[in-house]
Amino acid sequence: MQKLILALAIAVLTAPAQAHDFTSGSIFIEHPMIQEAPPNAPVLGGYVTIYNNGDVPERLLGIESKAAEKVELHQSVVTDGIARMEPLAEGMEIPAGATVSLGDDGTHAMFIKPDRRYQAGDEVAATLIFENAGPVEVVFNVEERSAKAAPNHEGHGK
Amino acid sequence: MTGKTSTGMRKLRIVLWALVVIAAGGAGFLAYGPKPTGVSEVEAIYAKPFQLVDQNGAAVTEASFLGKPSAWFYGFTHCPDVCPTALAEMSALLEELGPDADKLNVVFVSVDPERDTPEIMKEYVEYFDDRITGLTGDLAQISTMAKDRYIFFEKEPMEGGDYLMGHQASIQLVTADGRFFGTLATEEGFDTRMAKLRRLIGQG
Ligand SMILES: [Cu+2]
Repeated sequence: MQKLILALAIAVLTAPAQAHDFTSGSIFIEHPMIQEAPPNAPVLGGYVTIYNNGDVPERLLGIESKAAEKVELHQSVVTDGIARMEPLAEGMEIPAGATVSLGDDGTHAMFIKPDRRYQAGDEVAATLIFENAGPVEVVFNVEERSAKAAPNHEGHGK
Repeated sequence: MTGKTSTGMRKLRIVLWALVVIAAGGAGFLAYGPKPTGVSEVEAIYAKPFQLVDQNGAAVTEASFLGKPSAWFYGFTHCPDVCPTALAEMSALLEELGPDADKLNVVFVSVDPERDTPEIMKEYVEYFDDRITGLTGDLAQISTMAKDRYIFFEKEPMEGGDYLMGHQASIQLVTADGRFFGTLATEEGFDTRMAKLRRLIGQG
């Protein structure tokens, strides 16, 4: 049942069957998604994979969305058994030719105080702000949290 | 907003936060190490007295959760990944336990009781699994509970006046008579966690 964890990881890190991507210059943005949270959740976690096809490093500086009071880039870390969140003060670097995901190593976009409940199937418009590429409009798909499914029913991945 | 004003604001915030820290009087700001250091498996630390409120607004005490083994986690609802993942995974474990899930108390304690009211806890916890009890209440009570149980949490101010919580990441397993039994951690994998739960239930 290691598979549950694997399924979780895959659900966070990979796109589902249908294509869901955005391009701006040499930046390729794959499958922005938000995990569904309880109806009253004051924060939502957003994830996205970014490929830098250019020959200079790019940097995701921030995310803006009208659907939340603010969006911050964070990293959840567990150090000595203590879970903490830290802001990604420098944003997230995407080296030339590299693919980097918000979702790797506990990184996430934290949508703080969403303006309403978002459920699986909903879409959240947002703008990714890049150092070189500037603003890029994207849509985050709201998806079910996969661990909610019984361990025998992992439908994702595998 | 000019740079000057924002610097002033920041200073004001720092002063305000200092006041909050002083007001909390060490209550919520415990300095225990990781993986509950100091935990003795002999002492019934989970039988130490507390008074909190469950997600239905009912008063509960230590006695409410003794008599059955239990699993405890400490978190907060302003948490986008670690806490919801732990809750969702716990729900999956309960599912797999089947009828044996009744032999276990599962409790999620808010370490952010100032924001997490019983109403908020109810909607939050029951979204994952209504077999999970959500506890909140007086910060001093929660701080005492955490201290008694060697559980760490602390407030971490963010820019803009908001805050996040740092908190014990692992789930604490407890025997029916309130002794520490072990921990569950996400990275252990489902089967390992399942085996630990079964062992806990088996020994009553
Ligand atoms: Cu965060």
